[in-house]
Amino acid sequence: MTFFRSHILVSIDPECQAKGAYQIIDALNDELVAQGLIGEVQVLETSRIGDPAAYGPDIMVYPEGVHYVKLTKDDIHNLVKEHFLKGRAVEKFLVEQAAKSDDELGPPKPKEVRVVLRNCGVIDPCNIEDYIAVDGYMALAKSISELTPEEVIDTVLKSGLRGRGGAGFPTGRKWQFASGSKGSPKYIICNADEGDPGAFMNRRVLESDPHAVIEGMAIAAYAIGSSQGYIYCRAEYPEAVRTLRIAIKQAREFGLLGSNILGSDFSFDLEVRMGAGAFVCGEETALMASIEGKRGEPRTRPPFPAVKGLWNQPTNINNVETYATVPQVILKGAEWFASMGTEHSKGTKTFALAGDVNNTGLIEVPMGITLREIIFEVGGGIKNGKNFKAIQTGGPMGGCLPASDLDLPVDYESLSQAGSMMGSGGMIVMDEETCMVDIARFFMEFTQEESCGKCVPCRVGTRRLLEILTDICDGKGKAGDIETLEMLCKQIKQDSLCGLGQGAPNPVESTLKHFRDEYEAHIFEKRCPAKVCRAMIRYEILEDACTGCTVCARNCPVDAITGERRQTHTIDPDMCVRCGICLQVCNFNAVTIN
Amino acid sequence: MVNITIDEKKVQVPEGTTVLRAAEQAEIHIPTLCDHPALTPFGGCRLCLVEVQGARTLQTSCTLPVTENMVVTTDNDRIREARKFVLTLLFSERNHFCPYCQVSGGDCELQNAAYEQDMTHWPLQPNWKTFDVDASHEYFILEQSRCILCRRCVRACGELVGNFTLGVEERGADSSIVADLGTPLGESSCISCGVCVQVCPTGALIDRRSAYLGHDVELDKTETICVGCSVGCGIEVYSRDNHLVRIEGNWDATVNRGVLCKTGRYLPLDAENQDRVYTPMVRKDGKLKAATWNDAIKTIADQFKKSPKSAAMVPTRLPAESLHLFKQLFKDQLQAATVTSIEEGLNTKLPTQLAAELGSPFEGALEEIEKSDCVLVLGADLAKDHEVVGFFIKRILPLGMELIWAGSDNNAFEQQAHQVLKPKAESYADLLQALNAALVDKPCAEFAKNAGVEESAVKKAAQMLSKANFPAIVYGEDLLKNASMNTLKALVELGHLSGTIGEQRNALVSVKGKANSMAAAQYGLDQPFNISDEQAVFIALGDDCPSQKLIKRLEKAPFLVVQASYSSQLTAQADVVLPVENWAEQDGSYLNLEGQLQNAVKSMPAPEGVLSNAAVFEKLAAALGYKLDSTGWKDNLLKQIPVSAILD
Repeated sequence: MTFFRSHILVSIDPECQAKGAYQIIDALNDELVAQGLIGEVQVLETSRIGDPAAYGPDIMVYPEGVHYVKLTKDDIHNLVKEHFLKGRAVEKFLVEQAAKSDDELGPPKPKEVRVVLRNCGVIDPCNIEDYIAVDGYMALAKSISELTPEEVIDTVLKSGLRGRGGAGFPTGRKWQFASGSKGSPKYIICNADEGDPGAFMNRRVLESDPHAVIEGMAIAAYAIGSSQGYIYCRAEYPEAVRTLRIAIKQAREFGLLGSNILGSDFSFDLEVRMGAGAFVCGEETALMASIEGKRGEPRTRPPFPAVKGLWNQPTNINNVETYATVPQVILKGAEWFASMGTEHSKGTKTFALAGDVNNTGLIEVPMGITLREIIFEVGGGIKNGKNFKAIQTGGPMGGCLPASDLDLPVDYESLSQAGSMMGSGGMIVMDEETCMVDIARFFMEFTQEESCGKCVPCRVGTRRLLEILTDICDGKGKAGDIETLEMLCKQIKQDSLCGLGQGAPNPVESTLKHFRDEYEAHIFEKRCPAKVCRAMIRYEILEDACTGCTVCARNCPVDAITGERRQTHTIDPDMCVRCGICLQVCNFNAVTIN
Repeated sequence: MVNITIDEKKVQVPEGTTVLRAAEQAEIHIPTLCDHPALTPFGGCRLCLVEVQGARTLQTSCTLPVTENMVVTTDNDRIREARKFVLTLLFSERNHFCPYCQVSGGDCELQNAAYEQDMTHWPLQPNWKTFDVDASHEYFILEQSRCILCRRCVRACGELVGNFTLGVEERGADSSIVADLGTPLGESSCISCGVCVQVCPTGALIDRRSAYLGHDVELDKTETICVGCSVGCGIEVYSRDNHLVRIEGNWDATVNRGVLCKTGRYLPLDAENQDRVYTPMVRKDGKLKAATWNDAIKTIADQFKKSPKSAAMVPTRLPAESLHLFKQLFKDQLQAATVTSIEEGLNTKLPTQLAAELGSPFEGALEEIEKSDCVLVLGADLAKDHEVVGFFIKRILPLGMELIWAGSDNNAFEQQAHQVLKPKAESYADLLQALNAALVDKPCAEFAKNAGVEESAVKKAAQMLSKANFPAIVYGEDLLKNASMNTLKALVELGHLSGTIGEQRNALVSVKGKANSMAAAQYGLDQPFNISDEQAVFIALGDDCPSQKLIKRLEKAPFLVVQASYSSQLTAQADVVLPVENWAEQDGSYLNLEGQLQNAVKSMPAPEGVLSNAAVFEKLAAALGYKLDSTGWKDNLLKQIPVSAILD
């Protein structure tokens, strides 16, 4: 039996897994190999250690009992070096330290303007008095006591506020329709089913400033004549649901929800409904079906929700960010809001900046800012000094825009004209080492998985797109594939029932448009220019750099590397499975990809 | 009315009409797959895409309501390309190898649509993956490979039958049709009504019995009515070479509008496996021997002539014409001691008496049930008999209808009821009095106690009834069993108090018995069948199945004639057996439970030598020297006041 001096327990709680627990395990093993500790320190999997929401992915080191939290695979090199080689605990990753830092939302970066996020991290979300102290519920009071419902709608109309869920329909117009629609009762719904991978603007608002959303909904209810509202929040946001419930309870206690709000004739109450994890339930008609207890599937419009929505009653449905913006529009006036942004897109917009950019996390910027400003000023530029390749906006149904589009102003029209979309605010920056075919495949994998299956073009078409893209990435692409892809994209967009199907081909279409050469290289030359697609890359050892240390050969899982000690090693391409371990463990940068 | 233009043709349709229906009205064909006229529009298959002036994208005509001055194009290159694309995808989705499928060659809507769009090949590779086949059900098979996920079956199961057995599991390309939560169909909550099979556009839901027995064009189709029970559903009988192949619900029939239950759809096919009687038989030397019609009839006539006391019984499944001849022959002419129907008036005697006493019909129409917001079911097992009435009730449950179920037996309806009342056996009178008292805010505790029902339950039920704008009451056999006139009077009072019986509408309905239960009652064939020293007994069984009770009661009959389509224990103990036509081989009139007079149409010829029930009665009458009137049947139906108004 082998004895180890240290044991590293890695939490593989599902949430930690989602946050990359296995990458941490791989990185740990690689580092231990690289730093020659593989026989002394053992990496083990364990269930939950700390709260994964706050601390994941986290590890526990025994016998010391040191708890390192919120790790990324990039931290591992230093962590192993410091803790296991030099024998000192790394302060940065210890629990106490971690709890204080906020890696989602730091202090405002250059060019940021915080309207929706203004209270995030500033007030206590579980204390209504904190919100009231920063003018909370003033807008509701103003609406009820000083404005008629028509005046409220008029203010929102004049402000130019457009739906922040992605489609950008003017909010005031939506309210007008719901207000003018005959039928009672009318419903107010908040779409908090934020499902875009990597996007968490809405979650943050719900967790940090729930009363802003509640107040916005109450104002909307007053404007259209509704007395019942629902917040449809995905069950994957337990913390948001918890804070919302506390906030609703407190608002009721303060008479800001319920019957005769602030002594007026206006009554309004709210309920939280949880979604079961279907991305398509972010589509408004599917969302309403889900609230009704039916299978979450969209239906065709017309009739629009404003006419026949929840339980066939007139319904107004807006996104979290839209509602959170409303109180300030009412309070500070339409002119103030309209002073920010472009001609047709007013105000500010939150984004979840992710990918190969230095400052990842939430940002809020005025409409009309260029993509270049977002990436290089707000985002602090591309990581590791690499070159920018593309930016994907608007979530999985958005398009990838190349460097030539960097000076595009961020507004609804410019983005959709460029073949992408505003979406709810996902923004993924990609550096030069990204394969665009692989990226298209990745997004298509997501959308075809999340297609509800109701309409044929989306259900079958996205699956066919994925199959062709997978073939191309696997080196099995053939002449005619690009044309088939284009045909599928065009028809799926045109024939699908809801926004999911109509938008699903965007990543493929935009990459075909801007990075067609990469597709052609994959298909005709069987070459992945970014050296990502495994089927088309070869790991080779550089004769000049190799010292014959044997680390690669010892770590190769399939024994594809041969060579005598202190002699140049070689990789047998037929045996190699392109796992990349040799590249990671080589201390002399002798392994390259061709 | 709304004016629209479709393919340059001006059409005027009522507001709320979809473009698809408007086009149909203008005789413009738009291909569809997921659409079905009896189901709510779905908009999933995208085959019916049309171009609407001013709209950015193509629109599904099945879901799009017309608007004033809308201009629609149903056929151009863009539309054809889109339709072909949809079909291309469908053929690439699963294993649609037409030559292997029983519906291909005319009966498959997918294949037909592909031909219509001039598809000659699969532009995308088909999916070679295998899909599950669920062959666990007695009457049909679910073959996932052929499924195009149009959800017609799912919608039919929920919207038309209210059973909600079928659903969809998983998402996207992994979606598939499942019963309950993934149970094999045969073990699921399926009630074998087969409506799903009837609406399936492809060969995904295949009828076991009729598969590979020919395409629709090769079959003979007859529109007639089901004689399984007193509802009288419209059906289409498909036959080939004098064999029953399949029965489907008739979408145009006013009574059932397409739906059918297991009794109507599948049981008549099972009956084909029974042994048919082809020739008259007379018992000689203790054994039944084949005889000529003349010999058989003469033997019967001789016996009946010399018997001072005789009895005769007829099933309520026979047409009114036959019942009328039977009644004339045995009651009016022969004056037999007992002349009645197999039901013995259980479901009709008391209501008929009440109608006579009231001087007018007191029951209403079936269609009122579906417009109700509260339904009280009293002593009727709608999960077993008269199932289609049960469908009408179950399918409006999701619309917010409140169901009160009252009965002394356990019943499948109980679980879905908002209020259950379980009176002790034969204490419906007390229950009804309790409800009546509660409805006028009088004390009801005593009645409730007598009925063995909680007072609070009675009060809640009464509250539901009084709150309802359109209440309905359906009652049946269990309530009438050994009931007195007081019970029925209390029921009618409840009808008035709750608003079920009003000036504008009457939603009190009884489900009665077999197909012509009400006609038999109108002819007075509703006596109890109590025989003691009758020397000759004539049982006109028709294609009915004799009950064990009946067989037992007739064991000691000195001379027994059985007129039957199929051999049974009863024909075995008969002295003379007369072969007669079954339901599919005869024409005739039926009076359904709400008083609609409907026509059954002969769908197949009878085997040679087999006579109709009416012909046998006439032959026997002639032998006995009587003359029967074959025309007065309709006038005689109205001789006494019916329980519900007879509609011709």
